Amino acid sequence: MIRHIVRKEFMDVVRDGRFRWCAALIGALLLVSLGTGWVQARNAQKELAAAQATARDHWESQGEKNPHSAAHYGVYAFKPRLALSFVDEGVDSYAGTSVFLEAHRQNDFLLRPAQDATPAQRFGALTAAQVLQHLVPLLIILLTFGALAGERERGTLRQLLATGVGRLELALGKALGVAAALALLLVPAALVGAAAIVIGSPGPATSPIVRGAVLTGVYLVYFATFIGLSLAVSARAPSARTALVILLAIWVVNGLVAPRVAVDLSKWLYPTPSAVEFTQTLGSEMASGVDGIERPDRAASTQELLDQYNLEKVEDLPINAIGVFLQKSEEFGNQIYDRNYGSLWSTFERQGYVHEALAVTAPLLAVRTLSMGLAGTDVEQHRHFAAAAEDYRRVLVERLNRELTENSRTGEVYLAAADLWSQMPPFQYDAPTMAWVLQNRALSLLVLGLWLAGAFVAVVAAVRRAEVA
Amino acid sequence: METGPESRMNNESEVATADATQKHAAAADGTSTPVLEARSLSKRYGELEAVAGLDLRVDPTEIYCLLGPNGAGKTTTIHLFLGFLEPTSGSVHVMGMDVADEPLKSKNHLAYIPEQVMLYRNLSGLENLAYFSALGGKESLSTERLSEILVEAGLQPEAVHSRVSEYSKGMRQKVGNAIAIAKEADALLLDEPTSGLDPQASNEFSELLERLKERGVAVLMATHDLFRAKESGSRIGIMRYGRLVAEMTTDEIGHADLERIYLDHMHE
Repeated sequence: MIRHIVRKEFMDVVRDGRFRWCAALIGALLLVSLGTGWVQARNAQKELAAAQATARDHWESQGEKNPHSAAHYGVYAFKPRLALSFVDEGVDSYAGTSVFLEAHRQNDFLLRPAQDATPAQRFGALTAAQVLQHLVPLLIILLTFGALAGERERGTLRQLLATGVGRLELALGKALGVAAALALLLVPAALVGAAAIVIGSPGPATSPIVRGAVLTGVYLVYFATFIGLSLAVSARAPSARTALVILLAIWVVNGLVAPRVAVDLSKWLYPTPSAVEFTQTLGSEMASGVDGIERPDRAASTQELLDQYNLEKVEDLPINAIGVFLQKSEEFGNQIYDRNYGSLWSTFERQGYVHEALAVTAPLLAVRTLSMGLAGTDVEQHRHFAAAAEDYRRVLVERLNRELTENSRTGEVYLAAADLWSQMPPFQYDAPTMAWVLQNRALSLLVLGLWLAGAFVAVVAAVRRAEVA
Repeated sequence: METGPESRMNNESEVATADATQKHAAAADGTSTPVLEARSLSKRYGELEAVAGLDLRVDPTEIYCLLGPNGAGKTTTIHLFLGFLEPTSGSVHVMGMDVADEPLKSKNHLAYIPEQVMLYRNLSGLENLAYFSALGGKESLSTERLSEILVEAGLQPEAVHSRVSEYSKGMRQKVGNAIAIAKEADALLLDEPTSGLDPQASNEFSELLERLKERGVAVLMATHDLFRAKESGSRIGIMRYGRLVAEMTTDEIGHADLERIYLDHMHE
């Protein structure tokens, strides 16, 4: 019996000119945003690869040079665009995609597209994720607000129920009918997305097809939640117009109010310092040390070495005391950076928990978190990359300091051989696995599951109690 | 041997008539289960008593007409039989089943035609009939058979495939009749079925009722149309303020008597 309801709903919807126009518009936006996102991600990945090769070439072509000078010459680490980043660019536009690695300093990220974008570009930068998160739910609302309220108003609900069809069967049939109509829009988009991944991923990722499948599943749960909520409202609202108003209010809260509130509330609960404050604090602690982290003293460091080797003159030391001191300074700086960045990242993490928890008020928050996570463009994965780059910086600088320490004496002018730079391994980054992402986003998965279950319960309760006439 | 649609309809008609005769005989000697039965049925909306202690029985081949002014409780009674409303007290039964206990099973025995038959505008008459019939359990009816039923219900053959958005009220009503025919239900619930129809369409509707009666269908019809009630009905009940204030068979009275009795009760 359900298949007849599904077929009828599908026919009714696709013959409706309003659906055809809306679906064509949203479908076109979805395909265009997928296409442009893919091209942009691919171009960005090519540019990053070229820049990475150039930067490496510059590093290896330094010629004979003092290792510490090379440490200041520095290298760049480029965050790869992951395979699904064309679907959801997440925080990449704002957080940046490359970082300059040098001695003594943990630098901010560079290459933030949002910084260079004009206001018009920002307005027009519609991603596939935004279409899926905002416009498809709007289309679902337009398709379902009258599903039961409209039937009741027209009088067809009495005739339908008089046939002996169960209310839940009717609701399920309607839900599947709307889903079938939506499939006309979403299946081509999913195929284009899959083809984009198969033909040529913009960037690396572990099992991109599986990630894509999980991302698709997340969005399907989101859409099913909206279909359930819309049917529940349609079943209980006194008229189709009232149902539409209620559902549009839900859409506004979900898409506009809740994200804004989540940002403000998380910042209010866990405030972060401004960039100026953060830099000032770092500068102050670097200058004088803090809480048991003491700035190393060059004379004391040298004396310690002399005591260790039982010598009196620094020139007699078999190693370069400056190299040792530079490494001590580096380790001091690392502790200061760990303390400040650690605190900053912890605050971001707490803010992230607030976002995820607030998803109980709006499923979009959960979907957005999962979407960025699976696309590899969320704050957590930015942090993962930043930590990997910083680890590399520390290993590189430590090796260069060791090179200076072990191959020269204090006061000597030391130039390392030209082939030393190519012996330093380049920065290699392994992006987190999907399991890592899902484990980190377990709360969002749970909340999204609760939304689906809640929508199911709501639609069952509402349909059972719906007025017939 | 004749195998065409006309022959099949004739054979079906003969079988149905024989079956109806048996049902009628059983009803006459009081041994059969009534198709529709209300027992001390009441429905209250706060202080308002829409139906008050109604006892009603409709047997196979019987056309029971419920007369009464607006708000007398006729439509509420039909909605109670359909399970759209829950009785405040008493019970409604379809083929012996308590509607409260078997809300879906009981509907398998019912067909319903409301005052305004509303259909899906984006579908054709045939598609609407196919849809409602499938939901009513008649999934196996072929397109040809459904078309025949529409024509039997009075729809012009050329309108069968047209979208309902192009239909007049009378044409929609005919599709509603076709839905009732296709379901081959034991009982037909009609709520002001001839309201707004022209005399010819009303007459065609009466003929349809007669055919359904011959097939053994029990009909409960809420109507304001005294003439149609006297012409088509077997029994007439007059309702006022939710109560059945008079009940009679149409054999006992003439048109003038019915009008007088009705008005007498309205002025009490």
